[in-house]
Amino acid sequence: MKRLCIFIRAFRKTLPSTRHFCTASSFAIKNVTRSNFEPTLVELRRHVRDADFVAVDLEMTGVTSAPWRECFGFDRSDIQYLKVKDSADKFAVVQFGVCPFRWDPHKQSFIAHPHNFYIFPRQEIKGDDDSLYEFHCQTTSIDFLARYQFDFNTCIRDGISYLSRNQEEEALRRLNERYKDDLPDSLTSVREVLDMKLDRVADILFTERLKNNIAEWLDRLLREGNSGRLETENRSKASSQKMKTIFFKMHPAIDLSGFTLHQLRLIQLIVKKHFKDLVFVSVTNEASCQQHLIVYTESRSDQDLLLREVKDCIRKESEMKIKGAIGFRQVIDLLSSEKKLIVGHNSFLDVAHVYRKFIGPLPSTAKNFVAAVQKYFPFIIDTKVMLNTNSVLETLLKRSSRNTSLSKAFALLCPQIASVEKPSGSDDKYLVKVEVQVDDKRSQNWNSGAKHEAGYDAFMTGCVFAQACSYLCVDFNCHPPSSSWPHNEKLQGYVNHLYLSWINGDIIDLRSGNCKPELTSSRNWKNRCAQILYQNMVVLWGFPSKLKASEIRECFSKAFGSTSVSMIYYLDKTAVFIQFSKEELVSEFLVLKKTLERSNDPISVIHPLSKVLEGGQTCAGNYEAYKSICSSSISKVFFADQADAVGIQWKTQSLGPVPEDEMVPNKNKVLPDSPYQTENVEEVLSNGNNYRDELDSFFPAQAAQLRSR
Amino acid sequence: MWQRRLLSTNIHKASFEASAPLQNRNLKNRKWAVKQVKKSNFVEALDEIKTHIANSDFVAVSLQKTGAFSSPWQKVLPFDTADIAYFKAKYAAERFQMFQFAVCPFSVKSSKLIAYPYNFHLFPRDELKIGMPSYSFLCQSSYLTAMAREGFDFNACINDGISYLSRAQESAAKDRTGNPLLKYKEIHSPLPKSANSVADSMFVERIKSRIRNWISACQDSEKKTDANADALINSLRKIVSGSEMFGLRSSLTVDVCSDRQVQLVLESLNNFTSVVPLLVPGKEGNTQAVRVVLTTSEEDKVAFEKELQLKEEEHNKRIRGFREVIDLISTSQKPVVAHNLINEFTFLHSKFLAPLPSTINEFRTSLCSIFPYIFDVNHLMMAIGSQRKLNKLSAAISQMKRRFTGQLNVEIPETFGPSDIGGHGRSVLRICELFAKLSLTLSPDAADTAPPTLMSEANIFNPHLSSPSDLLDEDVGISTKDTRRINISDLVFLWGFGEGMSARKLKNLLSSAHEAFSGEFDVRMADTNCAVVVFWNPGFAERFLEIMNSGGMNHEPLKDLISEGVRAASYRTYQRVCEQGLWEADLADALDKALEGTVDHVEANSEQEPLHVSWNSDELINLDDL
Repeated sequence: MKRLCIFIRAFRKTLPSTRHFCTASSFAIKNVTRSNFEPTLVELRRHVRDADFVAVDLEMTGVTSAPWRECFGFDRSDIQYLKVKDSADKFAVVQFGVCPFRWDPHKQSFIAHPHNFYIFPRQEIKGDDDSLYEFHCQTTSIDFLARYQFDFNTCIRDGISYLSRNQEEEALRRLNERYKDDLPDSLTSVREVLDMKLDRVADILFTERLKNNIAEWLDRLLREGNSGRLETENRSKASSQKMKTIFFKMHPAIDLSGFTLHQLRLIQLIVKKHFKDLVFVSVTNEASCQQHLIVYTESRSDQDLLLREVKDCIRKESEMKIKGAIGFRQVIDLLSSEKKLIVGHNSFLDVAHVYRKFIGPLPSTAKNFVAAVQKYFPFIIDTKVMLNTNSVLETLLKRSSRNTSLSKAFALLCPQIASVEKPSGSDDKYLVKVEVQVDDKRSQNWNSGAKHEAGYDAFMTGCVFAQACSYLCVDFNCHPPSSSWPHNEKLQGYVNHLYLSWINGDIIDLRSGNCKPELTSSRNWKNRCAQILYQNMVVLWGFPSKLKASEIRECFSKAFGSTSVSMIYYLDKTAVFIQFSKEELVSEFLVLKKTLERSNDPISVIHPLSKVLEGGQTCAGNYEAYKSICSSSISKVFFADQADAVGIQWKTQSLGPVPEDEMVPNKNKVLPDSPYQTENVEEVLSNGNNYRDELDSFFPAQAAQLRSR
Repeated sequence: MWQRRLLSTNIHKASFEASAPLQNRNLKNRKWAVKQVKKSNFVEALDEIKTHIANSDFVAVSLQKTGAFSSPWQKVLPFDTADIAYFKAKYAAERFQMFQFAVCPFSVKSSKLIAYPYNFHLFPRDELKIGMPSYSFLCQSSYLTAMAREGFDFNACINDGISYLSRAQESAAKDRTGNPLLKYKEIHSPLPKSANSVADSMFVERIKSRIRNWISACQDSEKKTDANADALINSLRKIVSGSEMFGLRSSLTVDVCSDRQVQLVLESLNNFTSVVPLLVPGKEGNTQAVRVVLTTSEEDKVAFEKELQLKEEEHNKRIRGFREVIDLISTSQKPVVAHNLINEFTFLHSKFLAPLPSTINEFRTSLCSIFPYIFDVNHLMMAIGSQRKLNKLSAAISQMKRRFTGQLNVEIPETFGPSDIGGHGRSVLRICELFAKLSLTLSPDAADTAPPTLMSEANIFNPHLSSPSDLLDEDVGISTKDTRRINISDLVFLWGFGEGMSARKLKNLLSSAHEAFSGEFDVRMADTNCAVVVFWNPGFAERFLEIMNSGGMNHEPLKDLISEGVRAASYRTYQRVCEQGLWEADLADALDKALEGTVDHVEANSEQEPLHVSWNSDELINLDDL
């Protein structure tokens, strides 16, 4: 309905102005499913080769597998990566938007080719790791997609499947393993069959009958050697329907059809046992059906030759099947091999998904991950980083309380595309023209308006990037070879800089793996900041559920002094972080907790901490314990259950030396003070309106959920 | 009378239509009409099914899930004890979701099966925005693809599927929905008089006078509505006294800050007959305020209370969603019929009742308190002497087709709505039919309802045993030459022999390795990397394990195997794997993990009675099938 309205509006607008180029400004985006994937890929190859940059966007079945897996302000950068990794491990990508942009110097306009791929992890080859074909769905995300008219039927029925590079290698390795031994009969597990015992009367009768039939057939074959006669005679037999004579690789053969698997096994047994000149073969025919044959061979060497030939054939088929199962990964391979500039909006999670789905398992640290990513995608740019770290763009966006969600940025930066009304701004000369081409339809003010559809989001991202480049005074005409884009010195500050997590404002440099807070930061809450000192923190869970943060603080203040606790953060309703004012207090607390739990004397009962320890289920650990719980692949809804499921045996972590984390240069970071205190991040977001919409692109479901609260 | 005749002819006509293709003996072509229920027609369907459940003898259920098990060994294997089967089913039920829940109230009258099949489309939508019923769930693409092949409409399911809350979730949600309503029932606990302090009585007096003023303001304004000048003053007075409207009635909100104050406010309200107090829940489940609603008369008060009750029921209905159907089945106390009881009911329990308990006994108790009789057609197949468990419904049906010689006509009364009919959820009808045939076979004379012979087969949770007494007896009549009963202490798990091993190869390898293998033994693959060995001679398994644990002392061939990485573990280790939820993708990894975890208490609980499982040579996983 919404799209229809836009269409009508657009149509009305264009009708009076006699534009000679194209009147209809809205046509459907290029939707790609498995039915039109191959021809589209051919076209796409050309578009990507010619492109200056390629914008991408993904839609997933979820973002966080548990509430406590959401990104919090007190998450160190290694934790942030673990959370991204968990998300990419668990959820499926269901839509993949790819939009190549090319600058046309004659038209002084970009040409964009938005594609919207439906993808689905359908299992196409056997023997694969089953766990790769199961995925989580976050209920709110599915609901969110449904609200934006996502077509689940198309996705599940016709979505393009894929194999990662890792899966492909593994499948080929298994294939080699299977055909490694040169035994000709290894393709059918004959020895397994020989083991079969004939003890059912029916089986014995069946084998006797078949033995006679085959013997007769062989007899006639040897006697007459004439195939034409054979067939006519054979027809008289009762079982002729099931046993047709054909030729297989120049050998006369019986085509066995209509037998059950059990019967076929019996036949195989008969052939092996009683007929030296015959050999049982199973192949896949042209119609890709399984065909079972008994083939006549003249000699032992002839038989070996035939079997080898059959084996090679089957092997080639399996290889083809594996190649055929690569599916959507061909698009990823294309983007990788062309080494184009990839543009995304807040795209770290997207990149993680691309790696996980199409390359292989994610490395365990961010540093190793970005190094691996660089090998496949040397140039990635994040429009969100550009918009938030460039002063020119920042001032442009400031007008609207600094909102850098994709749709907002698109509406503000690209009014000439986003709205049908002609923009009345004075800075018209900076506005970039983008012509959209879908198959042979073209339009200069195309706008499908289908927000949160991967193809359209990719298009918006590309437009935002082009416009941002224009404001940065990148001269589009100066780029004859499209490969020079990533090397433009005006973009150097942005290429390969991604938000590791937007909430924390940590930007990771893909080339070095270093992570630092964003430089120019106008985040209004940064003014009232508090220090996060990871080494001063203790994570506490399993305490009595009725306990409030203020009560916990009170208990600790009584036990360690009124200034001992500098902050308390809620992880979820079953766990809190307590930040002590001094590092020593961490071990002091853990030791005290242990002593209190061990002794049952009156002192421990009246001790101020007893309120927290009540119930005997309270556990505590330092920040590294939090990390190890985060790195588990299990996802329970509540943190306390998670810690339990991860198999933490201790109730109080025994203290060894706290491992220094080499990948985190900013061990202590800055965090807003008051709002985060004693509150869950989610709640903070729902109270402060400032960056609610920012969540839009990164946490669609949660953001939607927050807004509707 | 006339109407009834018309009805009965309708039934006959429908039964004719339904049974005609039956004569073709072709199940696939038979038109199965199942009523498809979504959010949009749920309310009508709920009323309908209520009567149908009440008028039927049994209720069959069947679930369509988004997945079952993540790796081959995680499905219920033939050598699993009931405990292990439960752990596996529990693990699946906690992670996967169901999109369709078919319910079919039915009766068997002589040779007629009268059925009312419904198929409910479910989606765990977070209707109340409280992260329930399910934060996230797992899907297996093969299950979704299979559903898509049957023409299942995922868009409709996600947009128009019925949501639900379990009983446990509902009680948790009540505190969190924050509706300013309806807790007026629990307030009639009078305060101990002696406890009232001076401050309390002052508080009570203040409340009383405030209420008195407010009531008189309200009543004045009603009397003098035409006097313009007074109207203004009255409305001002109302504002000053803090009056607001609750529906069409005036109300006053009294803020409270403790449970004590709540009681005091309620006590002071006892003096006013025309007011109804409501408790407004706060964020943390406490009471935030008392809302006092003024009624005009005694009748109005009764009417208002009724109104509130209705509203509460409606609200609860909205919260419960599909669970209402489960509650209907439960309150009817009708026997429930399912295929693969343990799988279906672990799902049902975890989604609609409460989180699954940690042992099968607690699960059984909890479930039986809700559904007194549960039949597993799978188990009934064994009770009539089927050779082995038929995991697939279709296999059971085709076997029953051969065995059942009597007549059975399926009737779906035509009055059962021509609208919203579709093919999804058909399997529930197959279960009905199978059950009817089974019960007729078991007790051909008993015409209707549950005969005693049948009742003895209810509530059997063990997926492999034919009756509860099996647990004690060595061997019961059902064993055929295919199935042998074995003590679990005669089973040994073996792994670490590298890829591409088959049961046959392994058997050859082992038979020359040690004298323990000189007796009769069998090898089967539990998954690609792990084998199960059964020693038919008692005590051999123990000896073998001892040698393996000692590192193959004095047994060169075994020592070689061990140095190549082969490891062995008892059945207890396997039990521990499932108990502790070490659900690794490979059983070998899981067993390794279980061995790591518990060096100190090796087989501590040896006083447990010996358990038996059945060994079926055909049923175990064949490596070639993987």
